[in-house]
Amino acid sequence: MSPDLLTALIVGAGLFGIGLYGALSQTNLVMIMMGVELILAGALVNLVAFWRFLHPGSYAGQMFVLIVMTVMAVEMAVGFGVAIARFRARGSVEMEEARELKG
Amino acid sequence: MAVITLQTFFIALFGIAALWFGVVVFRTSSMMRSALALLFSQTALGAMFLAMQAEFLGVLQIMMMATEMSIMAIFMVMFMMDPGGLGEMEMTHQKRLSIAAGVIGALAVSGVALFAHWGPVTTVAPAAAEQIRGLGTELLGRSMIIFETAGVTILTAMIAATAVAMPALQRKKTA
Repeated sequence: MSPDLLTALIVGAGLFGIGLYGALSQTNLVMIMMGVELILAGALVNLVAFWRFLHPGSYAGQMFVLIVMTVMAVEMAVGFGVAIARFRARGSVEMEEARELKG
Repeated sequence: MAVITLQTFFIALFGIAALWFGVVVFRTSSMMRSALALLFSQTALGAMFLAMQAEFLGVLQIMMMATEMSIMAIFMVMFMMDPGGLGEMEMTHQKRLSIAAGVIGALAVSGVALFAHWGPVTTVAPAAAEQIRGLGTELLGRSMIIFETAGVTILTAMIAATAVAMPALQRKKTA
């Protein structure tokens, strides 16, 4: 296997692991969003690497990258909207204090 | 051959930088520093895309993340009790489970990367101008519906986020 492709995929795996840790361990909504951003960044690296080293002639790979970037932007917009609403209602965005959402 | 070696070096260098700053995001007690570390991590990824000769995507990543993380830093100052981290607050829970999940997840994905058969690898990338032309043709041709859907989704998210963030209307009680 190409060392370039392998390096990129390992970096993607590392970012996924770090993001997963962050999303599960943090108690603050904005920090959880940072974890999700890192998970999506891992997906981005993989997509760019697959396009570059496996199918550089097919631009559907780059299209997928744009879609993931859209998902990142949407996640941030909705996340911040929820954060503002939560802050207005409870004065905090700590998820430890949001246990009532558990049902 | 020398070019490929240099490319591998820069991919690895920027990749390590992205991982390092990714770790810093959750290791610092200052949330401002967390936002800046995430910005540096994403910028390192953009540089990695440039090293992989995906010029358009690399520049797009750097520009988009610079804006996004600046907004995130502003939100940190607005909403956090201690954005500077002076109080050394503990803001984590279920730490062992999270570390185990992160390590197992990273190892599982690395295992797939190592042992899967990815097929023949291409070393030559299209020129930057050719990439732009190819992506433009893709966006305005075969993938146009998907591209348009992404645009409408962002617009919907913007409206939804604004609606959610607006304060509840104080309705006057009618007699």
